Amino acid sequence: MPVRVVEASSALSQPSGGTSGNTLPSACTLLSVGQAFSGTQNVSSQQKDEAWRVNVRIQGCDLDHGYLCGTMEALNVPMADTPVVTFWEGEIVDTKNYTFFTGKWGATSEDDIKHWTKFPSFSPLLSQVEVDAGKSLDLSNYPYIFMRWKEQYFVNVGTDCGLTIAGFYYVCFSCSDGSISGFYYDPNSSPFQKLELKSTNEGRLGFSFSSYELQ
Amino acid sequence: MPASASSAPPPPTHSRREDLIGRLSSSSTEAKLKALRDLKNQIIGNRTKKLCFLKLGAVPSVTSILSSSSAAAASGPACAGDDVELNDSLIIQSAAAIGSFACGFDDGVKAVLDAGAFPLLLRLISYPNDKVVGAAARSLKFIYQSKLAPRYDFLQGNNMEFIQSLLNSENENVTGLGASIITHSCQTNMEQKALSDAGIIKKLTCMLGGSVTQKDASLESLATILKGNPDVISKFMEPENGGALGTVTELTKDKNARTRLLACICLIVIKNSAPFCLQDLRIKTKLILILLELLEDDQVGDEAPFALSSLIAEKEDLQVLAFEANVIDKLVNHLRKGPLLSRRLEGILIALANMCSRQECCRDRLLSLEAMKFVTDALSQDSGEVRAAACFCLKNVSRSVKNLSAGLFMNESFVIPLVRLLFDELTFVQVSALDAISNIVVDFLANKTMFIQCGGVKQLVQLSKSMDSTIRVKAVCALRNLTFLVNDKCKEEILSELTQLTLRSLICDPEACVQEQALALVRNLVDGPLDSIQHVFAEDALLLHAVGQQLQSASKAEVFIQGMYVFTNVASGNEVHKEAVMQELFPPLANDSESIMFKFLHSDDSRLRTAAVWALVNLTFPSSCGAVGRVMKLRNAGIVSQLKNMVNDPCLDVKLRARTALGQSMTFGDGST
Repeated sequence: MPVRVVEASSALSQPSGGTSGNTLPSACTLLSVGQAFSGTQNVSSQQKDEAWRVNVRIQGCDLDHGYLCGTMEALNVPMADTPVVTFWEGEIVDTKNYTFFTGKWGATSEDDIKHWTKFPSFSPLLSQVEVDAGKSLDLSNYPYIFMRWKEQYFVNVGTDCGLTIAGFYYVCFSCSDGSISGFYYDPNSSPFQKLELKSTNEGRLGFSFSSYELQ
Repeated sequence: MPASASSAPPPPTHSRREDLIGRLSSSSTEAKLKALRDLKNQIIGNRTKKLCFLKLGAVPSVTSILSSSSAAAASGPACAGDDVELNDSLIIQSAAAIGSFACGFDDGVKAVLDAGAFPLLLRLISYPNDKVVGAAARSLKFIYQSKLAPRYDFLQGNNMEFIQSLLNSENENVTGLGASIITHSCQTNMEQKALSDAGIIKKLTCMLGGSVTQKDASLESLATILKGNPDVISKFMEPENGGALGTVTELTKDKNARTRLLACICLIVIKNSAPFCLQDLRIKTKLILILLELLEDDQVGDEAPFALSSLIAEKEDLQVLAFEANVIDKLVNHLRKGPLLSRRLEGILIALANMCSRQECCRDRLLSLEAMKFVTDALSQDSGEVRAAACFCLKNVSRSVKNLSAGLFMNESFVIPLVRLLFDELTFVQVSALDAISNIVVDFLANKTMFIQCGGVKQLVQLSKSMDSTIRVKAVCALRNLTFLVNDKCKEEILSELTQLTLRSLICDPEACVQEQALALVRNLVDGPLDSIQHVFAEDALLLHAVGQQLQSASKAEVFIQGMYVFTNVASGNEVHKEAVMQELFPPLANDSESIMFKFLHSDDSRLRTAAVWALVNLTFPSSCGAVGRVMKLRNAGIVSQLKNMVNDPCLDVKLRARTALGQSMTFGDGST
């Protein structure tokens, strides 16, 4: 939406010289532990159109370390009898712990730019990212959070399930409405598989929040 | 040939000991002297014998000899040269026997103090005979090595001069006594500064070049004076102290293991208290390697892991360095060598716990080494310290959401011994077990029934009623975590054990930290399927009213935040739920401008503003039929105006939610007509 792009531009700033304030993305309640999202992942290929229903639940969040984790449940996977649940870990692009450049998982900086630019909310950041991977950006008041989600293991099926978790997702989270867009990247899979999720309220007329506290 | 039937059998051990006690009261000085020597030889290094003689009243008898012989000496030159010598021997032997009782044995120290030997020994420090002074100083040193010794007040009268005089002495036992007094008694920053100002650091630094005993005593005292005091550390680093830091660093290579350990501890104290010192990565790595090597040492191997813990605790950079130095593998290798004595096992478990407090790579390594079996075994050890250390280790390993998500800890091998420890007779073990349980019950695989079936909830509920507020808060926190994303059946079981009445009293607990956890528990209870909200409406909405009352009367932001999220979650329900929250936030007869909502929206704490605005988002949720009426009420209460002021709130989360709530309110008109 144009409004969001304008707002995004105005919210974006670069830290002035000598500023030592916090430039990390600020906490967003819609991206806190316990929050659930549902939507689809488009896995269409040249042969056929296909989309899997997907549910995501946030299980851990540590903004200081740019860390997020949770589970992803794919519901109508053709070769699986049951929904397939995977555990993923996320890197939050906060310019302190992680930059826009992945530097691993087989992704080059060109791959990174190619995927990030698919998110409209990334365009105000592009020029600076090309200069220094976005290290000098102040994302503390930016209404979008960029992340990479990497599936780590299958929770409820074996590794012989015929599915792969070799790739990872480029993710953009909207702090305003909790919607999530993502693109799956795996050189051996169909390119740009799109993930689209919305915050779910489990039949409620509003939002609900749970919490735990690790000792 | 058989022995003669008439030869008398040796007297039983007990009567031999009583005989010795009897000889201490002999009128003959020589007999007394011999008895003292016999006694001393018997008890040296033998705790059992010390205890036996303690029970037979040996300490008062020996103190009596010390007292009378000291008095005789003080009465002047009434006795001839040989007599003086004999009397001095009595003083030396009685002082030495007292020292033996006190050495490494708290019951002995208590008996010595009770018998009044302490002031007698202290007076002997100014005795003309150097051997007497040495014996008295040695015994006092042993007393000062115990926690039971009286604290020395450095700031009173000429006390500092006395310490200076001790450290100036040529007698090694006397300087050792001076150092021991400092190690035992220096506790406050003011005392540290006074000692530093009095030039004590320089004197102790000189002792670093002395004998092994002097080096060790000096290193211990230096660590005590420097601990937690960056100002004194700066002074210690000054050149006038003759490159003391360099000397201490050199001593980490000393041939004596204890000296190496104490030098490491001294450097760790400096590092922990003044992070600007010892920035060099090499010294940090070196400390880790030396402490690992000292783990192998028979003499100081028990203490080395504790020193390692103090180096790495809560410091991620050092944990990473230690990880790279294979500390986890080496500690686990020690566990494999077992069985270990309690102190060593405790130290290793605590060091492993500290390694795993922050770094996922450390937790992964520990798990991959299949070392958790040693930890679960330790949960059932005889030593309370070991049981608590095992819980500490488990607590830190289970901080891993990745492993919690894999359901790694919610199984009988962890849960059964942990639940058993909730009944432990030692409070510190219960506290430690509660911490571990709090993490383990987060379990995302929703396999929480198993914990309930093991009796975990029943005991947590019991502990939530404890008189000890630490136990109470931790028990409620564990219940809160257990209720996180739990299914309805488990919620029912938890509530039936906990009861609405108990939960209400926890919400109204005198301690704010308990209130906070209890409210967070209720917040989780009413999350999930819509029906869950009914839990706060049971028994005439007992819990909902309790939350409302607590929000009116509490004073801590964390309590308000959890309470507001309870209301947010309830307000995400149906019309009845939303209206009930409105009633709690805006009681019919109250002045709207004094409503808690108004107060929370103005809070300096952005977390509280966020929670409050979320409640408004839910109360104005457009698809609910009563929203228009609630918006009207909120507008009349000045809340909508306040939301307009918050659309540019400095906190992004607040700003976005305020815009949502305001946008929803505006769908029912802007109130201008």
